[in-house]
Amino acid sequence: MANLVLENLTIRYGGVTAVNDISIDVAAGEFLTLLGPSGCGKSTTLFSVAGLNHATSGIIRIGDKVLFDGSKKTFVPPEHRNIGLVFQSYALWPHMSVADNLAFPLKLRKMGRAERDERIKEALSLVEMLPYAERFPFELSGGQQQRVALARALVYRPSLLLLDEPLSNLDAKLRERARVWLRELQERLNVTTIYVTHDQSEALAVSDRVAVMSMGHLRQLGTPKDIYERPTDSFVADFIGSSNFLAGKLVESNSTHNVVELGNGVRIKTAPGSAKADGSLVVAVRPERIEVAPPATDNTIEVDIAGSTYLGSTYQYAVDVGGGELRILTPHEIQPGRVKVRIPPEATAVYADRPGEA
Amino acid sequence: MTDFSETRAKAPFIDRSQLIFWGVSILTAVLVIGPIAPIVIQAFLDKPLYAADAGATLANFGRLFSEAGMLAIFLNTLFFAVLTMVVAQVFGAVMAVLIGRTNLPGRAWFGEIFVWPLFVSNLVIAFGWFTMYGPSGFITLAFKSWFGLAPWDLYSIAGMGVVAGLSQAPLAFLMCLGAVTKADAQLEDAARSAGAGPFRALWSVTVPMMRPAIIYSAVLNFVIGIEMLAIPLLFGGPSGIQTITTFLYDQGINAAVRPEYGIVGAAAVILLIVVAFLVWLQGFLMKGSGRFVTVRGKASRPALLDLGAWRWPAFGIVFAFLFFTIITVFAGIFLRAGVSFLTPLVPFWKLLTTANFELIFSSANYMRSITNSIIISLVGAFIGTFFVTLIALVARRSEFRLGRPLEYLALFPRAVPGIIAGLGFFYAVVWLPGLDVVRGTIWILVLAFILRYIPVGFGTISPALSQIGEELDRGARISGADWWTTVTRIIMPILKPALFSCYALLFIHFFKEYVTAAFLFQPGSEIIGTTMLQLVAQGDNGPVSALATIQVIITAVFVFLARRVLGARIYG
Ligand SMILES: Nc1ncnc2c1ncn2[C@@H]1O[C@H](COP(=O)(O)OP(=O)(O)OP(=O)(O)O)[C@@H](O)[C@H]1O
Ligand SMILES: [Mg+2]
Repeated sequence: MANLVLENLTIRYGGVTAVNDISIDVAAGEFLTLLGPSGCGKSTTLFSVAGLNHATSGIIRIGDKVLFDGSKKTFVPPEHRNIGLVFQSYALWPHMSVADNLAFPLKLRKMGRAERDERIKEALSLVEMLPYAERFPFELSGGQQQRVALARALVYRPSLLLLDEPLSNLDAKLRERARVWLRELQERLNVTTIYVTHDQSEALAVSDRVAVMSMGHLRQLGTPKDIYERPTDSFVADFIGSSNFLAGKLVESNSTHNVVELGNGVRIKTAPGSAKADGSLVVAVRPERIEVAPPATDNTIEVDIAGSTYLGSTYQYAVDVGGGELRILTPHEIQPGRVKVRIPPEATAVYADRPGEA
Repeated sequence: MTDFSETRAKAPFIDRSQLIFWGVSILTAVLVIGPIAPIVIQAFLDKPLYAADAGATLANFGRLFSEAGMLAIFLNTLFFAVLTMVVAQVFGAVMAVLIGRTNLPGRAWFGEIFVWPLFVSNLVIAFGWFTMYGPSGFITLAFKSWFGLAPWDLYSIAGMGVVAGLSQAPLAFLMCLGAVTKADAQLEDAARSAGAGPFRALWSVTVPMMRPAIIYSAVLNFVIGIEMLAIPLLFGGPSGIQTITTFLYDQGINAAVRPEYGIVGAAAVILLIVVAFLVWLQGFLMKGSGRFVTVRGKASRPALLDLGAWRWPAFGIVFAFLFFTIITVFAGIFLRAGVSFLTPLVPFWKLLTTANFELIFSSANYMRSITNSIIISLVGAFIGTFFVTLIALVARRSEFRLGRPLEYLALFPRAVPGIIAGLGFFYAVVWLPGLDVVRGTIWILVLAFILRYIPVGFGTISPALSQIGEELDRGARISGADWWTTVTRIIMPILKPALFSCYALLFIHFFKEYVTAAFLFQPGSEIIGTTMLQLVAQGDNGPVSALATIQVIITAVFVFLARRVLGARIYG
């Protein structure tokens, strides 16, 4: 059992910096998810851990075993890293049966026949695929292939398990079941796992910690609760869940709260946070935290309710307030007309930059 | 399953994959540069390459250009190549549309027949045309006796160009066919719903899609026209029309009488530069052809055009065309092989004889050329397939830093005409110490053929390789296999169909090759092609036909077996 350490990992392709100075310490047995929009460098990071691409600089090590060190030109080839990897496309070898797919890594480790069969059986039962051992990959459904791929990655007992969007080819229902199952399996085996996805609900549901990435940078690393409730910048606030961003000017600032003047002149109390040099800032608040026609009278603004979007379990309203559009999510229908809404100060966060600018 | 073992042992000191990468690259470099270097050096030497006191000079080029008739040779070559290309492109493209996209009756058969010429050498084709349409050919004489004249002359540049063009049309046909049949049906449907009739949709949407295929095969056929030996030799020889290849051939063959190494070197270098430029031009013209890429995902096949009332007239025209340009030509060879004398004036069954075949079967030399051809093709294609596959894998699927340069190097032989490759190997064995062991054996031919057809093999392997997702290799690497194990256990087994196709294609190319061997064979290492060249020169038409017939039969059997047993895809 060992932890995985990435220190100042940077990966460049020509002029493109796909991964920019990332440092992460993944504890032994931890389930860590790399989350971010398409092209942010998740797969690149993952594959550099696997040794399938070459990092430009930085250090990758498992425990005290250095896999890559840019300054010392250390590079352990992938086949010597003892890492399990599941690909988005599963990458089952089409010319080998399920059992042969699992046998291949074991044969490479010069394992005797009896032990090999034992291991294959064990791994296949773990993923509930034992009855399919003699099938060929093309004779399996997507979900079954995905489980075989997982068994293949686990059968040689890797010190680290890497998963690159393993559920993205499954349909929505199956995906939800599979992620629960995957997490239970991981906890049972207690294998250090790095999971890549661009699906935030998946990330929040399965992870011990989530690393949010954007354009090669690590934006925030924390527990699912952390990154949802206390996003450290406006990108994370925007990307995880969804947030309203209202432009304003800082009027008063102290350790417990700020007072901010919105574009229409209304002043509201917000959580503390710093503004730009000229005092401009954005206030982020989640649509579901906005209170409609509240009993309390502080921090309220008047808005005009017009059309609504019916979302099944909730209604969404978009209203115009000074400084931008405000989306409100509520379980109850609101009658059109003027209504008071309250922005609870404890539900706000203040950032100097808008999401795109940070 | 919680006792996770440690990271596996460190890599061995010398990585066998690196050895293979470098070994393959060095071998490719030697094979490609080996025959070209001596030619280029020779072009700038005042004495033969092997002379100790040879000095550098530019005079060879001056002498070449002042040689009598040199301008005519260049113009002949140019005109011949242009004509070859135009004829090949026009017939190839029209046939592709007719066979690929219309309801022409019998189109599957027509398509099969149309590609026959690709399976045999130009020498065989040229001889077939000579037998039927030559000055005293069967059909020529028949025409003369019926109509008083036969309005064609094979022994002119126009005649040569048409024959060469028709024998190269299948190449253009296959490429255009690929383009028109793979065109996304939705594109034409879009044109139809925009108001275009079916012909208009085909003409305005699909035919332009053939443009890259036409350009690509046009340059290919132009190059083939420039480097073609058989047709200019057979048809140009009697009427004194020389092209650059026949010039090189005559000079090279007559080297013993009038050693003109310098001039030959200079002419070869010029030919090499022209062809290399054309191959570069081809790549340049193909740039940005992405906008013509029509294959996207699982597009449905485009519908066939109804020719309507034109169906049967079109059938008649296409049938007549194929009958007179392909079936008759092959029939001529077979017929000539079975008679003592072929003439329309006497019914051929009165002249039937087995003498031609007996002559072949009773001669140790002729029989040896057949067995040599078979051995070279069987063994050479095997070695070639293995070597080309390695090149493709190192170039495309490894972490080798020089993968790209290796691919360029491996594709360079496209720019090396067969006659130059032959000449180059001829020089190389004289020049390079140690190569003496293969001199005059069939192994020098195997080497030369492999070099020449690396690009052909690469062209079959590399598209198949790009179909195999890289995660498959990556999955193997991460589960503990090094590069070589990944290649042999994962990629090659999946690549098997392409390997068989590559083998079959190389076999056919090796079996029909003659130009490259012209300078390299010696008594004992003759092949069918070189023996035919000699017999043609002596005017022994009977045995030539018999040999050609044997070559065609062996090829047909091989193609049948390769398609049936190996499931190889050869030309369609
Ligand atoms: N081999 C390469 N050469 C050049 N650029 C590359 C290469 N691989 C990745 N990149 C670039 O690096 C960036 C990160 O790519 P990466 O595949 O890691 O994204 P990702 O976060 O996995 O996205 P997705 O969710 O779409 O899979 C992209 O901008 C990509 O274009
Ligand atoms: Mg990715």
